[in-house]
Amino acid sequence: MKINKHLSGFVALSAAFALLTITPSPKAAEGYIDIDLSKPEVELTASFDGAELLLFGIHNPGTDVIIVVRGPGISTPVRKKDRVAGIWVNSDEVVFKNAPTFYATASTAPPAEILPQKILNQYEIGVKNINLDIESKSAGAETKPFVDGLIRNMNRSGLYSSEVLEINKVGRQLFRTNLWFPSNVSVGDYTVDTHLVKDGNIINSKKTHIVVHKVGIEADIYNFAHDYSLFYGLLAIVIAVISGWSANAVFRRGG
Amino acid sequence: MQIYLPIAEVSVNIFLILGMGGGVGFLSGLFGVGGGFLMTPLLIFIGIPPAVAVGTEANQIVASSISGVLAHWKRGNVDIKMGVALLIGGVIGSSLGVWLFTLLRELGQIDLVIKLSYVVFLGIIGSLMFAESLRALLRSKNKTPPKRKQHYWIHGLPFKMRFKRSKVYISVLLPVGVGLLVGVLSAIMGVGGGFVMVPAMIYLLGMPTSVVVGTSLFQIIFVTANVTVLQSVNNYAVDVVLATLLLLGAVIGAQFGARAGAKLGGEQLRILLALMVIGVCVKIGLDLTLEPSDLYAIVKAGGH
Repeated sequence: MKINKHLSGFVALSAAFALLTITPSPKAAEGYIDIDLSKPEVELTASFDGAELLLFGIHNPGTDVIIVVRGPGISTPVRKKDRVAGIWVNSDEVVFKNAPTFYATASTAPPAEILPQKILNQYEIGVKNINLDIESKSAGAETKPFVDGLIRNMNRSGLYSSEVLEINKVGRQLFRTNLWFPSNVSVGDYTVDTHLVKDGNIINSKKTHIVVHKVGIEADIYNFAHDYSLFYGLLAIVIAVISGWSANAVFRRGG
Repeated sequence: MQIYLPIAEVSVNIFLILGMGGGVGFLSGLFGVGGGFLMTPLLIFIGIPPAVAVGTEANQIVASSISGVLAHWKRGNVDIKMGVALLIGGVIGSSLGVWLFTLLRELGQIDLVIKLSYVVFLGIIGSLMFAESLRALLRSKNKTPPKRKQHYWIHGLPFKMRFKRSKVYISVLLPVGVGLLVGVLSAIMGVGGGFVMVPAMIYLLGMPTSVVVGTSLFQIIFVTANVTVLQSVNNYAVDVVLATLLLLGAVIGAQFGARAGAKLGGEQLRILLALMVIGVCVKIGLDLTLEPSDLYAIVKAGGH
């Protein structure tokens, strides 16, 4: 496992060096950036326990790089608990429209030091700057604590990272960083936005995608459960009946 | 060794799941309860989404109940006539329960209702059983003969039937009513309902303890099978991989449990079960009353 990871890192770096040899002419290189991933997908197999992807690329010397990774957005309700007669019960609710199911940023320098707040907001760099639209909310509910609550909960489950990950510069033009996808990631299309930063401005951006999907028996079971739910339920019962029965038969013979 | 669950969409340790199945299966075989009231909270605790925990647990209870009922069947401890009467109520009750569940979910208070039901029912049943078993134990030590069965108003109900195996002559409305109540509870609480069924059969229907366990398991098989199909179709909330791992542990555990149960006396069994029921009740009660570490929580969608 470890060897594999190192090997993939080595392969990726070799690929990056290959990229280096085809560096464009100095004129076109103004604001030049290009990136690639060690793998364009995360496969949720039966033994999936989180995955690490290596993201690497090449950029103009003297520039900074910021990477923003976002999972697919879904409608996400957040509820607040209040004490009523000694018991904690759900009270107010705020539903966020299209809250990302995954969010991570990586940068060569702290984003707040190299970009003004306005641009951080515009490009949604950093968890605090994610643009969270509200689908619906309880009357009189103040939004801010719910936004904080959402981020805190997502952080705890490892799906958001409040801390900006480090991008390592290799030599003058290469950079690399590792992205970690925990085992509870949602399936779907993830976007990776790479921004090239110079003099407090984003001078170039590149977008790439990571597909998180189920493969093999995991995918088969999932699809069967969704496409033929009645048969799936009946099959689940058949499995249960057989296991219960055979366990009893085995024990009867044994004892 | 980690395994990724296709429906729950989380990665879990295989041996943890097998161990949980085995442990709860043992208790299930011992007491004749499905074990859902222990397993469902445990599954949620290790990070399985609540909807999937409830749906999958129903599927697993089918297997452990079959395994358990066969062991009791051999000893002639299943009253089929009584089981069918309970089942009729159970089917009506669980349908009613599913309707209630949907209504409460729309109101956003299903979690609270589930927890409160746990506290109230486990609390009442646990303390009643504990007190009763303690009295019975003391009585047997003092060698005083047990009191004759008392006559309540329930013995005046119409449609009386003779249940030979259970040695009772009662109105058929009683087991149907008990089945109905337990059906509602099992749909709302995501359990087989044995922990309510067993004491109801002992104290309300006056059945002998020996027959109670087998008959309860017999009835639970059908109710949980029904729930499994409903959960698969409505919520896509049954994870067969998780269920198979749980039941692998559970069917084996249940065999040992049934054997251990045959060696222990009825009163000791009841005291142990009572203590366990009270324990879970206290745990959930604390969850409700202690300040949560985070007042804000993301609501996981039930299924898709």
